[in-house]
Amino acid sequence: MKKSYHIPVTHVVPMTTIRRELLMPVPGTVLVGVNENVKGSQVLAESAPTPHHYFLNVARGLGVPVRRVGQYLVRNAGERVEKGEVIAGPVGFARRTIRAPHDGRIVAITRGRVLFEVRAEPLELQAGFPGRVIATDGVQTITLEATGALVQGIWGNGLQDTGIMRLAGDDSSSRLRAGQLDIKLRGAVVVAGICDHPAPLKQASDISVRGVILGSILSDIIPVAKELPYPLIITEGFGELPMNSAAFQILGSNVGREVSIDATPMEPYKTNRPEVIIPLPSNAPIELPNEVIPIKRGIRVRILRAPHRGKVGKVREMLPRASIYPSGVRAVSAKIELEQGGVISVPVDNLDVIQ
Amino acid sequence: MSTNIDIETLLAIDVGSVHTRAILFDVVDGQYRLVATGRVPSTSGAPLFDISEGVRNVLDELKRISGRTFIDDTENLIMPVASASAGVDRFMATATAGPKVRTILVGLMPGVSVESVHRLAAMSYLDVVGEISLMDRRRDEEQIDAILTARPDLILIAGGTDGGARDSVLRMVETVSLASRLLPLNQQPKIIYAGNQQIVGAVEDYFGDWANLILSLNVRPSLEMEDIAPARKRVTDGIAELRAGKISGFDELVEWSDGHFMLTADAFGRVIRYLSQVYSPEKGVLGIDLGASQVTVAAAFDGDLDVSILADLGMGTSLDGILERGRIIDIKRWLPIDLSDSYVRDYIHNKTLFPRTVPTILEELHLEHALAREIVRLAVKKARQGWAGSGVARDSVLMPPLEPIIASGGVLTGVPRPEFAALMLLDAIQPTGITTLVLDPNSLTPALGVAAGQMPVVTVQVLETGSYISLGTVVAPIGRSRRGRRILSLRLERVDGGEEVSGEVRKGQLVRIPLSQGEQGRLTIRPERGIDVGFGGPGKAGTIRVSGGAVGLVIDGRGRPLQLSKDPAHRRELNQKWLWDIGAME
Repeated sequence: MKKSYHIPVTHVVPMTTIRRELLMPVPGTVLVGVNENVKGSQVLAESAPTPHHYFLNVARGLGVPVRRVGQYLVRNAGERVEKGEVIAGPVGFARRTIRAPHDGRIVAITRGRVLFEVRAEPLELQAGFPGRVIATDGVQTITLEATGALVQGIWGNGLQDTGIMRLAGDDSSSRLRAGQLDIKLRGAVVVAGICDHPAPLKQASDISVRGVILGSILSDIIPVAKELPYPLIITEGFGELPMNSAAFQILGSNVGREVSIDATPMEPYKTNRPEVIIPLPSNAPIELPNEVIPIKRGIRVRILRAPHRGKVGKVREMLPRASIYPSGVRAVSAKIELEQGGVISVPVDNLDVIQ
Repeated sequence: MSTNIDIETLLAIDVGSVHTRAILFDVVDGQYRLVATGRVPSTSGAPLFDISEGVRNVLDELKRISGRTFIDDTENLIMPVASASAGVDRFMATATAGPKVRTILVGLMPGVSVESVHRLAAMSYLDVVGEISLMDRRRDEEQIDAILTARPDLILIAGGTDGGARDSVLRMVETVSLASRLLPLNQQPKIIYAGNQQIVGAVEDYFGDWANLILSLNVRPSLEMEDIAPARKRVTDGIAELRAGKISGFDELVEWSDGHFMLTADAFGRVIRYLSQVYSPEKGVLGIDLGASQVTVAAAFDGDLDVSILADLGMGTSLDGILERGRIIDIKRWLPIDLSDSYVRDYIHNKTLFPRTVPTILEELHLEHALAREIVRLAVKKARQGWAGSGVARDSVLMPPLEPIIASGGVLTGVPRPEFAALMLLDAIQPTGITTLVLDPNSLTPALGVAAGQMPVVTVQVLETGSYISLGTVVAPIGRSRRGRRILSLRLERVDGGEEVSGEVRKGQLVRIPLSQGEQGRLTIRPERGIDVGFGGPGKAGTIRVSGGAVGLVIDGRGRPLQLSKDPAHRRELNQKWLWDIGAME
């Protein structure tokens, strides 16, 4: 029996079908229907985020024993009330009452207290990229589909936006410099190779860019990156790593187009990945990209560890025996034909599929 | 040991967050033996979220190695054995894979029930995201909002000794019950109640027909007594159920195993406890499993087991946890080469993103080993807080006597030479006295832990058959002495009549004496005055029988606790020298 290896897949595709399930944190109201075409900025659904709660101590407020609270309540659990409406009372000569402190809902009545819920501003779920609604459960999930280019990253700062894509630099290893970021890039999604200082990221914020896509940043900059007001995606990792050639080629050939950038970071046991979607029309149906790709001859891969980190190549063959590396580590390996020439052995665990 | 064995072929699977392993045991010459092992990437995460694929892949791998078929045409496990080359008699499974279980701990008093639920959480795969206690200064409604914001998978309630506090416990129960009902149906947590048993009826009244309420015996039946085991079983079951709800394939694994399914840490701990009952009662047994997403530290002293799971530390997806708990300088102190802080930090973040990757250049190997040292050191330091039976104060800088120390995890077992693993363990754990270092290269321990429940003979026989790699015997003297001064003299007589070794060891030296796996020797040690090697006090000499190992006999005269030089260049030189001294590098 032939052994098959499965390694992580990173989608870097010039044209594909992109299907994403969008999920609200809690159930709410879906505002779109199946087959509806939506814009990237369109709100598809609303839900109430975690509300605030208050205990209203009815027994103490009315000056009655806990056991007699029930007879003075004029509203029941589950009912919505407006600010100032009487919830309990009046009691006694002073006609004491308990009134709703805000618009809200009575969620429980317990031990002479009313648990009162105040809703926060509704949470909106935006499409993120233009596409067509292909399914929804009507309350919490919406599946959106589009065609276009897809470039997945490896880390993101959690934000989302859209903008016209511009290059800052000539190649995949160009460093992002504050001086490059002038007013011409206002509102743009900026692409560069490496960022080794927080200054350019802050400058990008000053000119109100809509997003930044980089090969890598130094991990020292992570705290700054997490506080940026715009989405930031890196495609390779941390350090001084040029963007992989496949991703840079796709981004470079789509300069001037509107792109959607979703910098949701990867998390274990979740499907989210930071990604850039470049919507492109298609006259013919295109298959969804494969999520599981066994490693075999001809598969395009990226090397994830030194000394050839970030290089892209094709699998020439799986080696029948484990190889030994300069570190002394022995590992199941593949021969990789690098795009820039040369053939090297790489542990299979140090590869991901680029497709 | 010989026994009448009815069940002959056993298959064990361990589903980890990075790898899925399969182990095949069979009876050879009347004894259970390890026959074959396989390892493939786990498929519990994206994009499949289904452990079945990894399980089938590893069974394919095992078939390729052993020639035995495990799965029939209908994709089911062949059990019992169908022919000489198909099926197994028994199947066992363990798992660590799965998302962390977000948990809120609810207890009454710090130092009593709060401490007990914390200890319970530390022994399980729980990610504590909040805590509520009587000392909580937040108002009831703020506690409710905190629960709603945290969206826990599990709420663990303790409080009140049996027949003790009632109203204050019920008040917390009410808060939890109100908050839980306010969460959307598909996000409502499981509630485990393990408090005052006299008020169980009232607790049930608060929850009504709530399907997610699980009752357990009190973790603190009296102020003096702690009884975590029953609640731990409930937590374990709860974790398994929650994971099965999020990742496919667990149900099938549980069904195949017909009750022989355990969380990996529980099974690992069971073997450590068993060994502590077999070995000298004066010493404890320590087990360390350095995984990608957590570290498990199991220590047992004369049958008294403590298991700690540190879910925020690991060599893969949890590696960046070390930046929360430690400092870069603490990692770099273990390096024999100069690396910048930025390089170390970048490496940690990248390894967190790509947990499966392996170092192919020497500087990355050194860094990976430095990280492993610091993680094990931090994990053991934390775990020691629960070692009640060790006989050594929890805050003592010295480790209690241990025999043996068993270690597993890819970074330790995948070393280019076993000497690397030995030095990592010596640096990170800093054992005292005389001990044996053992590696579990095939991650057998969890499987043997499951087997120990109903078929202890499997555990006993496999442990005896050399499926583990003994790195060798370590002598680590304690006591004050000046660097370079003689701390002991020794004589090693080989039982097979080989060359006798005698000499002396000076403070600061790390000495390795070759003694191969299977070789036996008589070791006589005469420590200097004030130096204790574990023969009953400082200056006391003695003779013991020692077994060889992949590294041999190691005399670690570097002192306890190990004092590393404050001068970075000198420290790096010493780290390099120790690698040479122990034979990891030439």
